[in-house]
Amino acid sequence: MSETALRAALAKSGAAGIGQISIATREDGSFALTHHEDAARDDLALYANADDAAQLSRFDDAGNYRPLKTAPSLRHGWRLTVPDHRSLDFALDLFYPGRLAAFLAWDRGRLVTTPLRETLQRQTGMYRPAAKISDPEADGLVGSFCRSDGGCLRTILWKRDRDGSPASTLLPPEKFDPAHDQTGLGRPTVPLLCQEACNLLVAEARKIVKCGASADSDTSSEAGEPRDGTHQ
Amino acid sequence: MISSSTSALLIVGHGSTVNPDSSAPTLQHGAEIRRRGIFSEVACCFWKEEPSLRDALLYFADETIRDVYVVPNFISEGYFTRTVVPRELELTGPETHRKSGQAWKYCKPAGSHERMSELLLQRAREVAPGIPEAETTLLVVGHGTSLNDNSAAAAKHQAGIIRGLNRYAAVLNVYMEEPPLVADWLKLTRTRNVVVVPFFVSDGLHSDEDIPALLGIRSQERNGQDGNPHQIQGRSLFYSTAIGTDPKFAEVIIEQAASFETQGQEVESAS
Ligand code: SF4
Repeated sequence: MSETALRAALAKSGAAGIGQISIATREDGSFALTHHEDAARDDLALYANADDAAQLSRFDDAGNYRPLKTAPSLRHGWRLTVPDHRSLDFALDLFYPGRLAAFLAWDRGRLVTTPLRETLQRQTGMYRPAAKISDPEADGLVGSFCRSDGGCLRTILWKRDRDGSPASTLLPPEKFDPAHDQTGLGRPTVPLLCQEACNLLVAEARKIVKCGASADSDTSSEAGEPRDGTHQ
Repeated sequence: MISSSTSALLIVGHGSTVNPDSSAPTLQHGAEIRRRGIFSEVACCFWKEEPSLRDALLYFADETIRDVYVVPNFISEGYFTRTVVPRELELTGPETHRKSGQAWKYCKPAGSHERMSELLLQRAREVAPGIPEAETTLLVVGHGTSLNDNSAAAAKHQAGIIRGLNRYAAVLNVYMEEPPLVADWLKLTRTRNVVVVPFFVSDGLHSDEDIPALLGIRSQERNGQDGNPHQIQGRSLFYSTAIGTDPKFAEVIIEQAASFETQGQEVESAS
């Protein structure tokens, strides 16, 4: 990813960060990243290697693993300083994997979005049943799983199907608006775009089809896939 | 020959929605390869984590990148390498040409590299330093039948190669879920020293908990390689972390990319 593209994106939007991360530019050209709620704190644990972002983004404040990096559960208490744009890109790609690439593709009018039905129908193995989710069930699932408040901070760009039905009627219009700050703080923002349903949502759709909408734990989603992969 | 200015590397891992250690080795190998400057860009993507394989289609937008080498960080060929990876990355064969003219070159999985037996050997020596190999049995542990990924055959293949070197008193491939069972190790081995190397790409429940439990290592002693040797029924048991956590795995990934021209990966239809 080019330095100028990210710089341009931040400058164009007037944003001082991405998602829950604040980015402060220092006089020497380096960047200091913190949780946006920590920007004014001076008692933070200090990190100086862009690769540290992998560890910083892995767990939430309570120590729980964060399988979805765009969930609004970024942990607090750290400041990561990186020397240049290149390392800033690396760090951000660990905090929010693939999101800068998606933003740049979108900004250039090249981002291809995939309707949910297409993502589901493409699945094989243990995820194949996910395609059987009904429209109302999908509406409810996306409405709760992807919501910015407690679910995921991405801006949804995909539709439910080819005819353009919305991803969910239960989400507010701003969930689909890249200009809207999904953290709810109303700041200028570089959006975290969702161009295609993630694997976690597909796994949830499968659970609903297999176990009914109330199923909330299904360990077989980890170990079971290859077992069903007999069609290979 | 890989041209560092026009080539990129994409390492594809499985990842996990419950195990935080699953993607760590892939990310570490990616960081190490990036440091070496062999490729103009190095990225990782995961089936169960972000960035997803679909996200990886958005990487490498720099027009100077002509070739993207795709190396699956898997132990063996199977369902993921033949079906999931090609489908999600829209690969149509060993070499896929994108509209941009970029060529995506699908390489063999890291675990199938011919140097893997050398790595297993080195790892075995590292976890049991100074222990005479001629008085030691080496166990290469694979998953076994429930994973449809030929990992059992891969572990058997590696054990066969190492056995042929005649260094260890015995070299056995054992499995968690099919015979020869890792749980039967006391019956299967005769030597006082036994070295166990899990043939997995990352640590996780299997290598941290399941295999130690099957070996009879007490739960309070299941602490990676720190508790070695474990004294069990008069035997000295040396337990290794998963082979995929070895820093030398990064070299194997590079070599799999370099050997693409001679042995690209076949793909099957996703249907
Ligand atoms: S589908 Fe997109 S918006 Fe919904 S949870 Fe996954 S990444 Fe977030």
